[in-house]
Amino acid sequence: MSDDSKLWSKTISDVNSEILVNLENPHPAYYVALALSVSALLVGIVFVALHFTYGLGLWTFRPPVYWEVDITNFVFWVGIGHAGTLISAILFLFRAKWRNTVNRSAEAMTIFAVICALVFPLIHMGRPWHGAIWAVPLPNTNNLWVNFRSPLFWDVMAISTYFTTSLLFWYMGLVPDLASIRDRCKGFKRLIYGIMSFGWRGTAKQWWHYEAGYGFLAALATPLVLSVHSVVSWDFAMSIQPGWHTTIFPPYFVAGAILSGCAMVYNLLLPVRYMFRLEKFILPEHLEACLRLTLLTSTIVFYAYSLEFFVAWYSGNPYEWALFEKRAIGPYSFYFWVMMFCNCIFPLALWSRRVRNNIPVAFVICVLINVGMWFERYNIIVSSLVEDFVPARWGHVQPGLWEIVITLGSFGLFTTFYLVFVKFFPIVSLSEIKLIMPKPLSSKAHGGAHHHG
Amino acid sequence: MSTTREPDHSSETPFAPVPAGDDPRRGQEVFAPTDGPFEAPAKTFVEGPYYKGVEERLPDLAQRSESDGESPKARAFSVDRRDLLKLFSASAVAGTAACVQRPVEKAIPFVNQPTDTWPGEPVHFATTCGECSAGCGVMARTREGRPTKLEGLPEHPVNTGSLCTVGQASLQALFHPERQARPTIRFGSKIEPSEWNDVFENFAAKLTSPKIGILTNGSTGHRHGFFKEFLEKVGSSADKLYTYDSNSLAEATAEAHKIAYGLHAVPRSDLSKAKVIVGVGADFLDVGTSLLYNTKTYTEGHSFRGADKSKHVQFESFFTLTGARSDYRHPIAPGSETVVTLLLVNSLLKNSAVKGSAAARSQAQAVLSANAALLSGAYDRVGYSEANFDKLAEEMLASQSVVLAGGSAFDENATTLQLAAILANELVGAYETVLFLQKDWLTAPVATGDLQRFMTESRDIDVLFLIDVDPVFTLPPSWGVGEVLEKIPTVAVLCDFPNESSQYAKYVLNTHHWLESWGDEQSVAGLWSVRQPVVRPTTDSRQTEDILMWIAAYAKKPLGYENYRAYLKKKWDDIRTLVGRNDVPADNYFDLVLQHGYDGRNATQVVPDLSGNLASSFRYTDTGSGGLRLVAPLDYRLRDGRHAWKPALQETPDSLTTITWDTWVAINPVTTAKLGLRKFDVVKVEGPAGSFEASVYPLPGLHPDTVVVPRGNGHSKANGTVQGGNGVNPLVAFARAQDQFTGAPVTYGQQVKLTATGRVFELAQTQKHNDIANRKDIIKEVPIATAVANMGKTQDLDDVPNLYPAMPKQQHRWGMSIDLSKCTGCSACVVACTIENNVPQVGREQVLLGRQMHWMQIDRYFAGSVEAPEVTFQPMLCQHCAQAPCEGVCPVFATSHDPEGINQMTYNRCIGTRYCANACPYKIRRFNWWTHRWNTMGARLTDRNPRALNPDVTVRTRGVMEKCSFCYQRVRDARHKEKLNGIPVGQPGNVVKTACQQTCPAEAIAFGNLLDPAAPVTQQRKDLRAYLALNGEPSLKEYGLKTMPSVNYLAKVSFTAKPAHHGAHGGDHGEAGHGEQHGARPVEKSKKKG
Repeated sequence: MSDDSKLWSKTISDVNSEILVNLENPHPAYYVALALSVSALLVGIVFVALHFTYGLGLWTFRPPVYWEVDITNFVFWVGIGHAGTLISAILFLFRAKWRNTVNRSAEAMTIFAVICALVFPLIHMGRPWHGAIWAVPLPNTNNLWVNFRSPLFWDVMAISTYFTTSLLFWYMGLVPDLASIRDRCKGFKRLIYGIMSFGWRGTAKQWWHYEAGYGFLAALATPLVLSVHSVVSWDFAMSIQPGWHTTIFPPYFVAGAILSGCAMVYNLLLPVRYMFRLEKFILPEHLEACLRLTLLTSTIVFYAYSLEFFVAWYSGNPYEWALFEKRAIGPYSFYFWVMMFCNCIFPLALWSRRVRNNIPVAFVICVLINVGMWFERYNIIVSSLVEDFVPARWGHVQPGLWEIVITLGSFGLFTTFYLVFVKFFPIVSLSEIKLIMPKPLSSKAHGGAHHHG
Repeated sequence: MSTTREPDHSSETPFAPVPAGDDPRRGQEVFAPTDGPFEAPAKTFVEGPYYKGVEERLPDLAQRSESDGESPKARAFSVDRRDLLKLFSASAVAGTAACVQRPVEKAIPFVNQPTDTWPGEPVHFATTCGECSAGCGVMARTREGRPTKLEGLPEHPVNTGSLCTVGQASLQALFHPERQARPTIRFGSKIEPSEWNDVFENFAAKLTSPKIGILTNGSTGHRHGFFKEFLEKVGSSADKLYTYDSNSLAEATAEAHKIAYGLHAVPRSDLSKAKVIVGVGADFLDVGTSLLYNTKTYTEGHSFRGADKSKHVQFESFFTLTGARSDYRHPIAPGSETVVTLLLVNSLLKNSAVKGSAAARSQAQAVLSANAALLSGAYDRVGYSEANFDKLAEEMLASQSVVLAGGSAFDENATTLQLAAILANELVGAYETVLFLQKDWLTAPVATGDLQRFMTESRDIDVLFLIDVDPVFTLPPSWGVGEVLEKIPTVAVLCDFPNESSQYAKYVLNTHHWLESWGDEQSVAGLWSVRQPVVRPTTDSRQTEDILMWIAAYAKKPLGYENYRAYLKKKWDDIRTLVGRNDVPADNYFDLVLQHGYDGRNATQVVPDLSGNLASSFRYTDTGSGGLRLVAPLDYRLRDGRHAWKPALQETPDSLTTITWDTWVAINPVTTAKLGLRKFDVVKVEGPAGSFEASVYPLPGLHPDTVVVPRGNGHSKANGTVQGGNGVNPLVAFARAQDQFTGAPVTYGQQVKLTATGRVFELAQTQKHNDIANRKDIIKEVPIATAVANMGKTQDLDDVPNLYPAMPKQQHRWGMSIDLSKCTGCSACVVACTIENNVPQVGREQVLLGRQMHWMQIDRYFAGSVEAPEVTFQPMLCQHCAQAPCEGVCPVFATSHDPEGINQMTYNRCIGTRYCANACPYKIRRFNWWTHRWNTMGARLTDRNPRALNPDVTVRTRGVMEKCSFCYQRVRDARHKEKLNGIPVGQPGNVVKTACQQTCPAEAIAFGNLLDPAAPVTQQRKDLRAYLALNGEPSLKEYGLKTMPSVNYLAKVSFTAKPAHHGAHGGDHGEAGHGEQHGARPVEKSKKKG
């Protein structure tokens, strides 16, 4: 970091006080955002409760589309989580320093996104009260086991592993910071943070264990970035449905996941950065690095989309080709072209450094990418099902009230978690910032440096 | 499930085979598949599969008649019965005799087990269907006193085991929650529930006037005779019995034959004997005169049967299932049927090979010359050239052929058309080769002209009984039946279903459902079918005839019978003499008849020469010139509306439009476009007498002038929650007009105007796409020449390259074969499956969402031009793939493969991820989006009373996937039977039939063990016509999805080769165009699996 002196003009206590400002005094916008999130979540909960009471029939989708927005949301949220793991684990292993300011919120995003993702397989089931138990290979006296051949079972394993690892990884990184908060609090708060920080004292031995453990978890989480979404893609690829049954799906899904995840990281960081005045820590360079990753994955996805068409044509499979023809110019072409433009065409603007550094424009592009990635999943799931093999069975669906509300509810769930998190936990990793701070530390020597920030 | 069994002591029975020389029937041709019903009685016994009534072994334990509430003589009767049972003790009569005195008081599970019934074992009763006057034999399967399924009586000559949609759905009426529970009497504007004794007392006071009349529906049994007897007894006269049937075909045909030959009868048409069938507006496969008999014989002749098949040419204005099955279909304008028939007569006369008597020929010539004006320029008007008619005539004269004209609902020329058809049939020599009038002709269910008589004589009636008819709904309102009824001081409605005429009634008396009733039918001359109760009355209803008896008795004019059963028994005593069974004691005879369900002997009559002056009788009236004409046919599911309250029928899609629950206005797509309308646009249809509004459904193949609106729906909301407020009744548009001879109401061909309303109303369709999207391995069709060339060649559909290890060989691999050249789309299988497997009805709203639950669905595909398309029906059900895509993806093994090839659902295990449904390429799995509670369906009440459920099949809750199980419960039953009797499953005596197969009148479905080389299903699978849906073209080494279904289809055989549908055969590689076709478009490679 050539310009360390310019940026890191803070003392350790400055770092503590300026980052932990969120614990005391957030921007008023925070409360507005929280209120909106909680209401969205509550409405979502009400709808899910109704759906549990009366049955899946309340949803709008219908045969031949047996999966629609439910699984779209599932894949979308799992995908969102991936960027967090990528940033925190893989970039940690590669020692990419730009990650240090963004990794905490990216990891939190992962956790909450996976929680959102877990909700959907559960509520989409006809009988979740059985499914929650029977989908897990629990020993039982009847010797009834799950079907180990089923991609849905692989899903259960992949997502639960992923969630567990991410949770441990995230929490482990939090421990030193929680201890810092504990040290600043009094009374009840001090007790709670004290319990949560597991008695962290910052001794050399503790740091030694911490570093070893953190590195280990990073190594453990790294393959998950690739495996989890590959497994999710097999939910589709393992069936013989045209549009689903392709070998390209695993890398394609992973790239898409990282694309949407990076865009989501960007979308989340900016408001937080603004609300908690973290411009000093989360620097434009960090944001730009995030966009570069977005651009890379966007081009991979572009390639995958094109290749799918080529393979459909080249295979000579009439069902496959008929489906792709219809994807582009058929009744679901709207979803297809939204996907194409948002995921492939608009991100091309990110080739320009000017655009990458223009925060509002980049923010909009990232929002569009997230929209596009949602549409991509909808497109894959629904447009493959509506017109498949037997024409007599064809039928079309559009998302209805239920789908929209439950999707909003999942966003409410996500943002509520996230907002609660930013209120009570450090959003930028204190300990990691401190590690990369330049030495010697003297605020006096660089008194005027903050003008550059 | 009915199987026959050889008697152990048949020689002891009083019905031992008659020595050859003594049998008066020997040497006669009989139309029944068996040689007379009583030739070998024990063979025809309807046997419960596991029925092991104790009286089989210990006759003394047989049920006594204590519980007989029917007659004081029952005890004496029971002694005879016990003797009888001793004689028959070993024959396992399925306890049919016990139905005379049902041992249960109420239709609830047994608390005290009766000695002759074992819980869990079905008891079968032979009876006769009461839904129309075709008089089909029914075998009712009862469990613990409740009927759970109706099937055709296997040996019954009319339907030989099959049953139509309407008959299958009958059970739903029996247990319908909206059946009136008690009789009601109207006092002023107040309707009060009453007690039967009060009703009789009250009513008897009204019988002081002798002006008593009965308006009732068509029946061929002793019923009308009884009504006449009643009328005479109470002081009225027999001619005050008025009969009326919405299906006017039999009436018109009988009247025409009366004019021509002086015989009031309907010829029986054995269509298997015809090589060329010409239908002119005929609907013999939809409703006709005897739907099942026609379908059976038609399919026998018309399906590919070795070397050839009959050719069916149909001229019709609208689309019927009959027309859909034809080989050449020519749309004509409504009203031009008579002209077409006369043009055919003209061409026949010109041909030197013309058959028929000289009298017939001169009559035909006279008719033609008398109607020369009508026929001038007619070739252009009907759009069928003289050369074509000549060619058709030539073909008809070259072989046995027949002309079938007229439908069940028709215009003023209905009888005239029949006269023209008689001429045509005389000229092609159809009588006594295809149409039988001398032997076993059909009896007319109604007397001609009764309706008109009723309309004129109604002012002379003080007390009117409306029995099983609903004239207010089934006649056009322009007839003013409502006003007529209003003027009659006392109207009593006797009906088992909610009835639109009830609003004019003082008494609404709820009668027994036919499954609770006594009765009989003689739909074929000489063949008597008996109807007996199979269940204790489920509501406080009474038998119609008993009500009349009680009323008469209260009026001190008793008829002299204890009940209608006693009346019938007496009548059957006469039949006993008639059929020459005087050697059998009367009581025994009746009981034996009850066990058989029918008896009779071949009837013959002398048909005089064509003697009537047809030319002078021939009165053709042109009912209008050009313009749109409204056609309101009887819907083959709901008929005239009397079946509209059965949800299973409402939800069975109309095969041609796949619409459920609604009324539609079908118009030719070209006309639709010309009128600026689109699909589902609500139009106002303005007829001469009124207007109604309904959604447009553009249906290919209609004549551009035809506007088809099926009858059946349009009941008022008050009429019931199932049918109430559903659709519209097209009859409101019809001006009062009637057939010139019979007086039957015209519901056909009146001019209408269509105006768009600007509104759109979506019809609940089950199939939204009509074209096959160039898919080659779903429907296959072969030209007949190829089919003949490939006769005897075999293929092995299961011989495909496979990476998976072979399944261990079992004793059975269950498979099904469906012959597309037989399926008529009649939907009987759909309803049979629904009833057998407790498939819920979901209601219109859910059907709109595509969430219907039918395990069996009939896919319909159009091919060819919009003007004259070809239609193919494909019954689609779970294909039970050997390599099922659904099985691997279920996370909890809820769907798995049976070692015997059945793809099974474990409902209890299912968690509802729906992945299996997504993975299924046939998309024929059904998901329970809701708990379809058994008495509600959305806002509508349904009749799926838990009592009507089949206890052998699990009832599914919400969140669970379901699908066709190949009626696994029946396979399991057969396995139990194997253990008990030692007859191996699948062998004669223990044959498994699925519900759909059992009821299919066309016998299009074969089911059985694919590992048994002799089984028909195995034979059919080896046929070169066989193919597996979505499994490519194995002969070209294209294996498609390689799902390897256990269900195979047999390609449709047609007279013309259709390139678009081509490719079913390995044997026709050499044909021109074939190679190019496959070259032009990349064929599907077997990339999917393996």
